[in-house]
Amino acid sequence: MIEGRYFPPASSAVTSAVLSGTPEALRLQETGGQEPMMPVLQSVSDPVAGVPRKFTFADGGVFEAAPGADVDGFLGTHKSFFSRLTRFEANLKYIALAAMVTIGLLFVAYRHGIPLLASGAAVMTPAPIVAAIDFGTLETVDRTLFEPTELPEKRQEALRALFAELSFAAGKKGPPLQLLLRKGGKTIGANAIALPGGTIIVTDELVTLAATDDEIAGVMAHEIGHVRERHSLQQIYRVLGIGFMVALVGGDASQLVDDVVTQASAVQTLVYSREFETSADLYSVDLMSRVGRDPVSFVDLLDRIGKDDEAAQETYWFSTHPGMKERRAAVEKKIRELAGG
Amino acid sequence: MNTNEAVPLGREARRELSFSFTGSATEYFGIWIVNLLLSLITLGIYTAWAKVRRQRYFYGNTWLDGHNFEYHARPVKILIGRIIVLGLLVLYNLLVLISPFFSFLLIFYILAFPWILNKSMAFNARMTSYRNVRLNFRGSYWGAFFSFIVMPIVALVSLGILAPLASRYAYNYIGRHLGYGTARFETQAPLKALYGNLGATIIFVILAAVVCGAIGLALSAGIGSFSYGDMGDEEFARLLASGPLVAGLLGAYVALALSYVFYAAGVRNIAYNSTTLDGKHRMTSNVGRLRYVWILVSNLIVTILTVGLMRPWAAVRSWRYLAASTGLLAAGPLDDFVDEAAPEGNVGAAEFFDIEGIDFGL
Ligand SMILES: [Zn+2]
Repeated sequence: MIEGRYFPPASSAVTSAVLSGTPEALRLQETGGQEPMMPVLQSVSDPVAGVPRKFTFADGGVFEAAPGADVDGFLGTHKSFFSRLTRFEANLKYIALAAMVTIGLLFVAYRHGIPLLASGAAVMTPAPIVAAIDFGTLETVDRTLFEPTELPEKRQEALRALFAELSFAAGKKGPPLQLLLRKGGKTIGANAIALPGGTIIVTDELVTLAATDDEIAGVMAHEIGHVRERHSLQQIYRVLGIGFMVALVGGDASQLVDDVVTQASAVQTLVYSREFETSADLYSVDLMSRVGRDPVSFVDLLDRIGKDDEAAQETYWFSTHPGMKERRAAVEKKIRELAGG
Repeated sequence: MNTNEAVPLGREARRELSFSFTGSATEYFGIWIVNLLLSLITLGIYTAWAKVRRQRYFYGNTWLDGHNFEYHARPVKILIGRIIVLGLLVLYNLLVLISPFFSFLLIFYILAFPWILNKSMAFNARMTSYRNVRLNFRGSYWGAFFSFIVMPIVALVSLGILAPLASRYAYNYIGRHLGYGTARFETQAPLKALYGNLGATIIFVILAAVVCGAIGLALSAGIGSFSYGDMGDEEFARLLASGPLVAGLLGAYVALALSYVFYAAGVRNIAYNSTTLDGKHRMTSNVGRLRYVWILVSNLIVTILTVGLMRPWAAVRSWRYLAASTGLLAAGPLDDFVDEAAPEGNVGAAEFFDIEGIDFGL
């Protein structure tokens, strides 16, 4: 027997009432009413802390159990998922445990789960989509940033031969590699860019700035590393993953909190991108060693590019690339490893 | 608790009723952390159940005149809505990634926005009940188009001078199309009061800009001296030169966000106070604008400092304040409302607004 109050179908009128019988054969007695009603039960609201349970009947009438009434005892639903969950949520010991497990899980998901899922998703992304991204990006950057190359035909030929040598050594696994030469102009300057579908753009300015072919080859190998290890796709998926995690944690957050957390995670993706740069550097060292070229010299070229930019020397929280000192140290360490092993 | 109908005078008595929230931060922390844990383990699938549980906790512990509110959405429907919305968002972003040309799809989004808004409002209203009677929303496409696309543009072009007019249209539109069973709401926000609110906001903006700018400046000077050791003198000089600019921009951004909260709280008061239900009951709202700004700011700071762990406390705090600041001037007992069939809305539209963080609730 449960005490409570009763709302007739589709009405906000209320009378106090008592519900008895069994869930299959209910008897509802309104206070002061003559005959008890025999409503057919349609659903009972799940338990949530502090919220009265409501029995909805087939005709639209609602019986609201008084606070604290033993509805689970009446229905025999002690062991239902939400009844257990409600008891769990109210137990300080359990929620302290849940908090610790959640923090641990968030940390693991952030450090390992998202990168793992991102690299899996990057491998599984269909080749036509990747090729389409290349095509679209190239169209845009050609229209807005680049100009046609002004290098002499012979020099272009030599660079293509150099690239062919490297891409042959890099192997066929992954998107087909393609070299494009462009003039960077004022905005881009000396630079090299790898698109996810295997298109690698090297600017005239970079070629001119290089002292030897090995320097250019090293940069090309670095970009090939980005393509082969699918860094840009991974980056996209990681950003998505972090966005998803932020949405999970701040699911009920107000816009203000959301904004702040999103900004903070945007900064965090820069750290990810530094990780990719280091990885591409190491790939370059490995590939250059295999074709018998000098694996360190590209760092000299990067040094020269960064010369007029003092900030490039150090790694800051906001940098997309690791600082030059750090890069050189990592490259030299890798070379020693290769020599030792 | 219930007005005795045998006393005829009770029908005429005007009662000042206040909303109240009876939940607690500790209680909600349990629900929140379990929701988070299960959502993580299920890779996000449980978020639909988590949302329903959160809404049921907040609605269910909100009381008016001895009765609570109830949230009725079914988690499976929410999940389907979320999957559809996420699918569309991913598809759109993929298309833009392939070619920026696809940004033109935004035009369709703008054209669809009034429809999405109406369907979302209808769904959320339909999922809310009080005393066994549900809310409902019957929007019109062009009404929404005018109030939520044309007027915001007008407000923007007029550099905010016509913002009160836009606010008036937005709230009047929502109020006019909202219903409680067969009874209708009606909102007629007075323009004069809205302009008064704008004036107060302008004073607030100036004060906020000064305070935020000063704080930003102090912070940037602090950071500058802190990292002095790592940098050459030249670099340090450059940072010092750009510091005030960065601080100014940051301060301006924060000041703008705070001013928006201040302004919106004022508009809420005016709009609620000029909203009637069934032509006789009147809503009331007396949110303290500065107080509300302070609550949100301190919530944000506490949430960040505790890496999110105090988020449940913050959520309960602001909800409780808003509930306590809201009331109903009832012209009699609230037992004669009748529910009716009404448009069910669209769960996908509602979830789109939820995911994009668009909220007209305040
Ligand atoms: Zn790189």
